[in-house]
Amino acid sequence: MLDSGLAGRTAIVTGGSRGIGRAIVELLAAEGVDVTFFYRDNVAAADSVVAAADARGNKIASDKVDIRDSQACAAAVDRVAERCGRIDILVNNAGMIRDNQLAAFVDEDVQIVLDTNVGGVFNVTRAVVPHMIVQRSGKIVNVSSVAGEKGGRGQTNYAASKGAINAFTRSLAVELAPRKITVNGVAPGVIETEMSQPVRDLAGDDVLARILLRRYGTAEEVAYAVWFLTSRFADYVTGAVFNVDGGFKME
Amino acid sequence: MQPTITKEEIMQVFPKVAATMADALGCDVEDIELDVSLIEGLDAESIDFLDMVFRLERAFKIKIPRGKIIDNARGDLSEAEFEQKGVLTPVGLAQLKVYLSEVPAERFREPMKVADIARLFTPETFCKLVLMAQRETKAA
Repeated sequence: MLDSGLAGRTAIVTGGSRGIGRAIVELLAAEGVDVTFFYRDNVAAADSVVAAADARGNKIASDKVDIRDSQACAAAVDRVAERCGRIDILVNNAGMIRDNQLAAFVDEDVQIVLDTNVGGVFNVTRAVVPHMIVQRSGKIVNVSSVAGEKGGRGQTNYAASKGAINAFTRSLAVELAPRKITVNGVAPGVIETEMSQPVRDLAGDDVLARILLRRYGTAEEVAYAVWFLTSRFADYVTGAVFNVDGGFKME
Repeated sequence: MQPTITKEEIMQVFPKVAATMADALGCDVEDIELDVSLIEGLDAESIDFLDMVFRLERAFKIKIPRGKIIDNARGDLSEAEFEQKGVLTPVGLAQLKVYLSEVPAERFREPMKVADIARLFTPETFCKLVLMAQRETKAA
């Protein structure tokens, strides 16, 4: 069997209690990675991820962190570094939607999405990168979205945040290349998660008609792409944004 | 007023600073002479400066806020007194020369851009940075 080189590594995954994040956490842990995930408020969901991992003998820890708070992020990252000794992998997965027509947004609809999806990536990555620079190694994967490249009604806030993450990914890849730290993105399409439930309920047929493979993706299918980009098989990949969208066409 | 740092103090921290810098730059510790220019003499890049700061923070158990060297150099001067549109004022340049007293006078350019200040840095600059941070840690 091929060795992904992941066993014994340490990782931080944001937004790890549900959906795509949970699938990433569980796949990395199954590969022998010591994973700490951050979550915002769903204690019950987070506890169930940790309990399931314990039952399987995998190493998963959770930490309740509001990624919009840079000091909280710095403190949480330091706790992981102290406990694990190093941070090999960062997966910036946490994100949220607040869909509406632009003209119907109130200030908070715009601010909270940008603060969480973009601000959170800055806050956590800024805290992790010093560790990776000193280690002279590291793999960062940012979970973006097809919405970052393609237009979608009611998603100006979300699309802008994901486009920002793609730009962030490319620039940081340039910045960190001298230290052999890779920075890549994974852009999922419509995935069967709680977050995409409203879209699927509201416009399911419309959406499916735009997916070449005529079905929604699963969280695990996104996790496999993240797994690849964090493994040694992707040592020569940086600054890339990888679509996992079943061939999504948007207007 | 800039606090005085003696040569003895600098020589006390220098061996550990030099070893830490050699790790960051991937060079031999013998190459880290007290007065060598990090950028021109040792090919340091901007990411190397961050690397050095992170390693020094760990090695000496201190906190070095980003931009601290320039802040230290600016001392009591306001930003506008120190620089205008990215170029040091005559007062600012005079103050910088005092702070970076280890750097030979001919290495200061006139006009001197803020962005070029890092070109002047030597291992001694970082020894002073560590000593200042240690004092601030003790005072806190």
